[in-house]
Amino acid sequence: MKSTIAFAVMAAFAAAVQAQAQAPAAPPSWQQGKPPAAADSTLHPFNIEMTGKSAKELPVDKLKLPAGFKVEVWAEGMPGARTMALGDKGTLFVGTRQLKEVYAVRTVGGKREAKVLLKGLDAPNGVVFNKGTLYIAERHRITSYANIEAQLDNPPQAKVVVDGLDPDKQPGHFWKFLAMGPDGKLYYNVGAPGNIVMPGYFQATISRVDPKTGVVETVASGVRNSVGMDFHPQTKQLWFTNHARDWLSDDLPNDTLHRVSRKGMHFGYPFCHQGDTLDPEFGKSRSCKEFDQPALKLGAHIAPIGMRFYTGKMFPAEYQNNIFIAMRGSWNRTVKQGYNVMRVALDDKGKVTKYEPFMTGFLVDDRADPPMWGRPNDVLVMRDGSLLVSDDQNGIIYRISYSK
Amino acid sequence: MRLAVRNAMASAVAFLFPLAVLAADPNLCAACHGEGGNSVNPAVPSIAQQPRQFIATSLFMFREGTRKDAQMSPMAANLSNAEMNQLADYFSKQKAAAPKHQSSAESAAAGPALAKKFNCSQCHGPQLLGQQHIPRLAGQQFEYLRLQLKSFKAQTRGDIDGNMSAAAQALNEKDIETLADFLAGQSVP
Repeated sequence: MKSTIAFAVMAAFAAAVQAQAQAPAAPPSWQQGKPPAAADSTLHPFNIEMTGKSAKELPVDKLKLPAGFKVEVWAEGMPGARTMALGDKGTLFVGTRQLKEVYAVRTVGGKREAKVLLKGLDAPNGVVFNKGTLYIAERHRITSYANIEAQLDNPPQAKVVVDGLDPDKQPGHFWKFLAMGPDGKLYYNVGAPGNIVMPGYFQATISRVDPKTGVVETVASGVRNSVGMDFHPQTKQLWFTNHARDWLSDDLPNDTLHRVSRKGMHFGYPFCHQGDTLDPEFGKSRSCKEFDQPALKLGAHIAPIGMRFYTGKMFPAEYQNNIFIAMRGSWNRTVKQGYNVMRVALDDKGKVTKYEPFMTGFLVDDRADPPMWGRPNDVLVMRDGSLLVSDDQNGIIYRISYSK
Repeated sequence: MRLAVRNAMASAVAFLFPLAVLAADPNLCAACHGEGGNSVNPAVPSIAQQPRQFIATSLFMFREGTRKDAQMSPMAANLSNAEMNQLADYFSKQKAAAPKHQSSAESAAAGPALAKKFNCSQCHGPQLLGQQHIPRLAGQQFEYLRLQLKSFKAQTRGDIDGNMSAAAQALNEKDIETLADFLAGQSVP
């Protein structure tokens, strides 16, 4: 009897697998929500250099910064380099999205040595380091690697913090950012499973998990996809960037910057975008008044990824507690924008007082295909106060420093 | 096998590839893909004048196992990223030869409209010359094109973003024959 059931279950499973294999392939996630009027559009996402590119082939000297700042190539040879985390002993950990690898970069005799630390992971975009432990967010789970800096040549087995974060293998926005909260909990995004779709109950959220217990909570909802977040150095409040929907127009809706001032906030997706613009389909019978407002509209299709508060001592005093945001740049816009690092200044109440470009020069021709030679992806403040910027298009990390 | 190919080809083609300092030897590729990357075998793709990023991405996919082929997978298995970039750079700069394939009159007439209808030109470009990670189709080998389209439709061909697997769903057997026949006969400026 038992074996009959087991056989039946196996047969049903095999049939399901076969049925799945025969189902027609769905259009890629980036095409979801494309209106019939845009059927002939030649806009398309750009693909990263899967094998990386050498800095000497690139116009790095075209990068521009305010007076007193300079930029240099800090490390290269890490295809798809995205999110960065700094270890206590100075190891830089770097996550990837389209590759399966996490890199470790060490400084030996003044030179950077990059190596593949972990391989075979599933979209290991999120990396964060805390008290000797490296945490990694993959598509479906968050894992930890204790005492990692003592074992860089022979990393330990992954220990699971939480699994089952992607039970349906969602087609879009399955990569995750990871941040360590002041409460000792790990914060991460679960993106919307498409461009403009009704999310499942834990999708389109910022969530957190307690690494001690593995218990998950929703922190904020109505967030289409956030791949950058940080905590304000003084208020300890969570701030995050968010990508708005595509295929509506060149100038709407804006990507946004958000502040979480209480638990249970809802930022509107899929009903209301940028706090004031109803979605033509999902917003029909809703009002934007029921949702929380963004802290700042960043620009349409500008693609804000990593963001960090500047807490270093190297830059001038006016930069203290500013936010740097890496803008990966647009594809779904006829005139491209972004492809730079932006600076946001806040007053004591957390109100934005300044929003301006900080590092530019990756964008070559805003109407060309492709328009750029590099794409900033994350920023990280180093202990000496310099700022690292990752470029996943080329697999390069730059260092910005300041001197009078 | 690899060494045998190298030895057999080395003396014959050494002077054709003056970039003898390359760590990854284009002569090895030429053994199957033809002189300068212009294939003379209808089942083997031409890699001359393909977009640089497309060649590097293909080699990467063969090495990582997301695209599989009995000949190519072992060839790519030991290549470093730098070697892949060198080969991609080299072959992207070789001139595509005039196609040997003659499209039938019917395919030549129906091809352009079909390429637009099935959105080929949307990504591969108005002249189907490819761009970035997207390959040149014009003048590509007939059997190779036909097999790729069939494999994309069957969802057995590695696909970096799912785009081609989805696009190929709309094609029937006849569309595939017509498109491959049309594309293989297109000359490259």
